[in-house]
Amino acid sequence: MTELALSSEDLRKVYFSKGAPPTEALAGVALEVRRGERVALLGRNGAGKTTFLKIASTLLRPTSGRIQVFGYDVDRTPEKARPYIAVVPQEGKPFFHLSPREQVYTYLRARGLTRETARARTEEALEKMGLLECANRLSVTLSGGQRQRAMVATVIATEAPLLFLDEPTIGMDPFARRAVWESLRTLTRRGSTILLTTHYLDEAEALSDRLYIIERGRVLVSGTAEDLKRSVGGTVKVLLPGASSMIESFRSFGTCVDDGDALTVIVTPERLGELMDLAVRSKLLATVGPVTLEEAFLRVVGRSIDED
Amino acid sequence: MRTEGFASSTRAFRGLGAFLWTEVLVQAHEELAMAASMLVQSVLLVFVYILAPALLGIAFVGAIIYSMFTMGNRVLNEAAYIRIDHKANDLYLAGPMSPESYFLGIATGILVVYVAPVIVLGALAAFVVHFTWAQGLLLLGLAATVWVFSASVGYVFSTFFRDNRAIWAYSSLFFNIFGVLPPVFYPFRLWPAALAPVALLMPPSAAAALAQASFGFTELSSGEVLLATAGLLAETVFFLLFAIYWARRTVREK
Repeated sequence: MTELALSSEDLRKVYFSKGAPPTEALAGVALEVRRGERVALLGRNGAGKTTFLKIASTLLRPTSGRIQVFGYDVDRTPEKARPYIAVVPQEGKPFFHLSPREQVYTYLRARGLTRETARARTEEALEKMGLLECANRLSVTLSGGQRQRAMVATVIATEAPLLFLDEPTIGMDPFARRAVWESLRTLTRRGSTILLTTHYLDEAEALSDRLYIIERGRVLVSGTAEDLKRSVGGTVKVLLPGASSMIESFRSFGTCVDDGDALTVIVTPERLGELMDLAVRSKLLATVGPVTLEEAFLRVVGRSIDED
Repeated sequence: MRTEGFASSTRAFRGLGAFLWTEVLVQAHEELAMAASMLVQSVLLVFVYILAPALLGIAFVGAIIYSMFTMGNRVLNEAAYIRIDHKANDLYLAGPMSPESYFLGIATGILVVYVAPVIVLGALAAFVVHFTWAQGLLLLGLAATVWVFSASVGYVFSTFFRDNRAIWAYSSLFFNIFGVLPPVFYPFRLWPAALAPVALLMPPSAAAALAQASFGFTELSSGEVLLATAGLLAETVFFLLFAIYWARRTVREK
């Protein structure tokens, strides 16, 4: 069996609809996920993350290109890939008239797990997701965050070799998000592989071993979060609100990104003092902090991840 | 690489039992819907009882056929709802469960829950019609055939919709037109003679006509019996096979 859990080559997807020009959602995506890795697909809305995930999880046919799950061709023999995968769909909801306990248990049984295994896994997943207190309440009575946790619990309980999670923590509070992250880390320690999409940069940074930044159906860059941050050209960022008109004065210090409201300058620690002198002389307010994935994303894509 | 559960992809109905049970649990929470599923039939039975009590036996037989036919409407609504609103198809089908099990799980889950009021109807019919075991078994077979047909049609139709609001109108129009207008609740011979073959080729009215003939409510020629039987079986088998094919095909969007 291949060491790659997932690989794609020149994967393309074009959507055709009547009365509208064809839309190219994926424009030759090449991507590899090794067994046991946690990999994040980062991108703005409409970048192609969900399209990729739907193709990889056998739910959408590609227009061209190759994609394999554990060596099985997803397009030609999807039924061979399916026993190895589980998916948290984007905006998926548990059955409203099932409790989280029933939802997880019946799902595991539908995947062929024995009663004993399904029961044990159900309790473990509910506990991890903090759902034990509402485990017997119908999902229709749960909050949006609890429902999303029930969905994640349903899928992580499978312990499938390859898990696809499309925006798994959307609508969750910070504690619940951290619980999900911890559960996903545990799963990869047990041998599962995880590919998730997110537009939470902190989530991608905290959770993924490697990440791919996708924009307009193309992989722009891949690597670890540290690699990407290093590529920005410095380790310190200085935020200068209202300094957009002075961008030329700051260019010599390093990469400058102007988002309209504030100028962000990426600088090495050695040149920070010099930059701060200029900011003080120019009567600018300056906030200094470490470079984050956000700056890396801005540099690579040219736009903020939340920008439509 | 280790997989648990159904590692083999060769079993056509893997996951069916568990998914059927899932649907039973989901549907069983809708007690009011179970009662409401008898609304049209009950109203028509009351009207017949008041206006033409002699036709009550035919109306009871029709009510049983109609009840099984309109289960297709529930399959349509449920399959579309859990696909569009819950993305349940993504959750279940991107895994080892088979597409056939997904379709049949929805269909049979609804049958298991909604057959209860039909059994009550059947028990009441026994008081009114006094049928033999053979006639009862024939009625059961016809009702089951109509259910297979309507559940298959309902599932296939469910895949064409992207919005639940559009479904409500179309599905209730379709199932009520084909379940009420043709001679299901009334004697087959009241239907225009020139259009008799049409009624005999529509599964609910074909089943009703065969049941009426079996109970002695209507006389059918041997040609009509043959047409109704062949039509009903052929359409049912065709739509069942097509629904299974369609369930496999629509796992993946194009």
